[in-house]
Amino acid sequence: MWNDYSKSYIKNNRASSLSVIAAAFISALLLSLLCSLFYNLWKYEAERIELEEGPWHSRIEGVIRDEDLEMIRDFAHVESADRVPEQGTSPEPSAAVDLRFDDMGLVLENTPRIAALLDIPPENISYHHSLLALYMVRDPQDTAPRLIFPLFLAVTIAASLSLIAIIHNSFAVSMNARVRQLGILSSIGATPKQLRACLLQEAAALCAVPVAAGDLLGILTSMGLLRMSNALLDGRIEGRHEAVFGYHPLVFALTLLATVATVWISAWMPARKLSRLTPLEAIRDAGEPRLKRRNRSRLLALLFGVPGELAGNALKAQKKALRTASLSLVFSFLAFTVMQCFFTLSAISTRETYFERYMGVWDVMATVKNASAGTFAETDEIRSLPGAESVTVYQKAAARRVVASGECTDEMLAFGGFEGAPAGDVTPLDWGWLVNAPLVILDDAGFLSYCAQIGAEQRLDGAVILNRIRDVTNPDFRHPRFFPYIREDAGTSVLLQAASVSVSAEVPVLAYTDQVPPLREEYATLDYYELVHFLPVSLWREIGDRIGGAEPDFYIQVRARENATRAELDSLQQEIRRLLTASGYTAESENRLQEQETNDTQIRGMMAFFSLFCILLAVIGAGSLFSNALGFVRQRKREFARYLSVGLTPEEIRKIFCIEALVIAGRPVLITVPAAALAVFLMLRASYMDPGEFLAEAPLLPIAAFLLAILASVALAYRLGWRGLQKLRLAEILRDDTML
Amino acid sequence: MELLHCEKLTKIYGAGSGQVMALRGVDLSVEKGEFVAVVGASGSGKSTLLHILGAVDRPTSGKAAVDGTDLSGLNQTQAAIFRRRKVGLVYQFYNLIPTLTARQNILMPLALDKKKPNPEFFDQITGSLGIADRLDALPGQLSGGQQQRVAIARSLIYRPALLLADEPTGSLDRKNSREIVDMLKLSNRNLGQTIVLITHDEKVALEADRIVSIEDGRIIKDERRR
Repeated sequence: MWNDYSKSYIKNNRASSLSVIAAAFISALLLSLLCSLFYNLWKYEAERIELEEGPWHSRIEGVIRDEDLEMIRDFAHVESADRVPEQGTSPEPSAAVDLRFDDMGLVLENTPRIAALLDIPPENISYHHSLLALYMVRDPQDTAPRLIFPLFLAVTIAASLSLIAIIHNSFAVSMNARVRQLGILSSIGATPKQLRACLLQEAAALCAVPVAAGDLLGILTSMGLLRMSNALLDGRIEGRHEAVFGYHPLVFALTLLATVATVWISAWMPARKLSRLTPLEAIRDAGEPRLKRRNRSRLLALLFGVPGELAGNALKAQKKALRTASLSLVFSFLAFTVMQCFFTLSAISTRETYFERYMGVWDVMATVKNASAGTFAETDEIRSLPGAESVTVYQKAAARRVVASGECTDEMLAFGGFEGAPAGDVTPLDWGWLVNAPLVILDDAGFLSYCAQIGAEQRLDGAVILNRIRDVTNPDFRHPRFFPYIREDAGTSVLLQAASVSVSAEVPVLAYTDQVPPLREEYATLDYYELVHFLPVSLWREIGDRIGGAEPDFYIQVRARENATRAELDSLQQEIRRLLTASGYTAESENRLQEQETNDTQIRGMMAFFSLFCILLAVIGAGSLFSNALGFVRQRKREFARYLSVGLTPEEIRKIFCIEALVIAGRPVLITVPAAALAVFLMLRASYMDPGEFLAEAPLLPIAAFLLAILASVALAYRLGWRGLQKLRLAEILRDDTML
Repeated sequence: MELLHCEKLTKIYGAGSGQVMALRGVDLSVEKGEFVAVVGASGSGKSTLLHILGAVDRPTSGKAAVDGTDLSGLNQTQAAIFRRRKVGLVYQFYNLIPTLTARQNILMPLALDKKKPNPEFFDQITGSLGIADRLDALPGQLSGGQQQRVAIARSLIYRPALLLADEPTGSLDRKNSREIVDMLKLSNRNLGQTIVLITHDEKVALEADRIVSIEDGRIIKDERRR
């Protein structure tokens, strides 16, 4: 039938063929682009994790001899097994081995087997959860949500399905219009098999080249986009490694398979539909959009009269064909609006709760690794650096303390005392409650300055207790309320070792206060019942050995002069790092302005990524709309002829199309405005932000720009459809026997 | 020799209160070489009868056989092959494929069987139907009468046992109607073609050898004129 029928059909139906070719090309391009971008995003994330955290899949800690190492390397599917490089200055050789497998699915299965062979207990095994999660390998013990990869995957699948729907719709429009022709063929003796073969041959002939070209161009576009992102982000985000384009043959195979399968199914479906009809039914079916039941478009009729009602009915009749376009446009605009509002709100919140809150507290921060503040002697040297206004060196340590039954304040008891306190935070005892008492060990000068700040006696032999507990009945974290925690009559505080409460140290209490020193720290954010103690480093030197629990790192917090520039802070940061390195310390450092800029860049980057996704969705919607509009000429010429024959002027028909376009473009707004308003209301409520603050920075401009782009694309699609219909002449349509 | 045989043929459309009984136990027999006109008012069931005889629709009950083929037992593929080889269908609205030329439309039933046409027979048909000079035109470039001639040529090309024509003159003017009926008569006389013609036009019916009148799904009169 190819030579006898299909070739002529394709030749004599250029518009229809072009519409199918365009849809197949656009969809294959976007699908290929999307899959390629997703693959590269995944690849980049895996590379980033491997660079930052190491390329290992699992780690075994214990006594592992060289011959054991050889045995591990010979184990099935083990790609490599290497000792973990030694860290710090510890004289002990590393007892950990990093394993990589050539089959990720076997990591969780084979690592315990290897450990068992070495007589190493299972608790000495650790897994690289973040890396494994990228390969969809989840350890049941890992409680972190790790949703980014599944989220990306879900987004890619959803977008791919939308693109597939475009190809399908385009075919459906073309094929449905031909049901009558196929019915004629059937009536003169074409078998269902012959019709199916004919449709599939046509689909293959029309789509082979555009699908291949679209797939190829999609890969090239993603390559270009990756290069562009490298050029844009290079040097802006510290530590960012360059993305190297990669493409796995499986991605190509999947993309191709998805498009080919869609084309095949789309061509096969009309054949199936036909097989359910008698030739007579098929001949009577004109493939014309029809209303299934009477359903007046009251609002449109009221607003625009007869053209409004006709437009409403036409939209209902085309409901199926317009589904992809409508859904994509609505969802893209909704997602874009909510995303813009969310990031604006998030930026305001971070700025207020972090950057503005700590603006006068720190400018440069250094985290000194594996060292103790007690032995740090370079504080004065840092203080003398040009640009450094004040320096505080501090370290944190874990300890515990008993709050006796009679020690709680009346306010604390009025709020229920320790009733309902989580068992992990508070342990009830016969004579009171054992609570966490985090220690903040300040350098002596910093501690004395703190004493002066709160009006306490300036001594170095005691501690200051942060005597406040948050009113948990007020969830507003932006404006928290506190009340006194314990009575302030005890002159000493007995600190207990966090690991073993049998070891203690009694320290004098210099003051109880509800004020905190100017540190970039948060207190009692998770454990409401912790009783924070501030200690001078001199006192820590005396009790540190008994209490222990010190964190491995300590911090140097430096404040520069007011309104210091980024260059000044960079220079100060460099000087501090140089000094620390020269003294043999390993340190990481950051400065406030740099962090703020990085944060802004990250937010912009995330916004750009999500915007790109929304734009992609909108393009899918617009693509579907264009594909539908190009099918107007075939699909709606009878409708057009009927309108003309009953006396509607071309101007009135144009009005019908304008109303249809308005409804399609207006629907995203009508759905988005209340939904976005509700989402913003809930976000504002959850973040306790003043609506006025948000409204002052509301992202109205990008939302309006996005909406205008949607309006323009809908208008253009309908303009093209209208132009095609304008070219038709009533007499020609009426003469066409398929009209009857 | 009996070519067509119907026995207690019934066709019901729809279900429940919307049920329509289009044929109510029709018995009909047509001999080879006969030219039968089936007449009746609109909705009487005559088109339904023709569609069942052409295997484009199925009876609800009863038996219909054409040239020894029981139509009620055919699956989709068998029905298609039956339509291709045993019957020629001519409709009121021609039902030509608009993207194919007149020649391609006529040859389509043979092409479906991958058969080459007999050039002499092709020339004979197209010549006698008066479309020999319009064979390369698309249906849209032909008049209504010419399109119907192409449709008749297509129905005859496979030398079917039975030609079924459903109001073939319904969309034509008097002159073209006359010519089409003459051509059908010619093919009946010259080629021995058995024809069942459905019409509501008495003048057209009077050209047939036999007139079967149908009303409300039943044959009420069967009159042999020759």
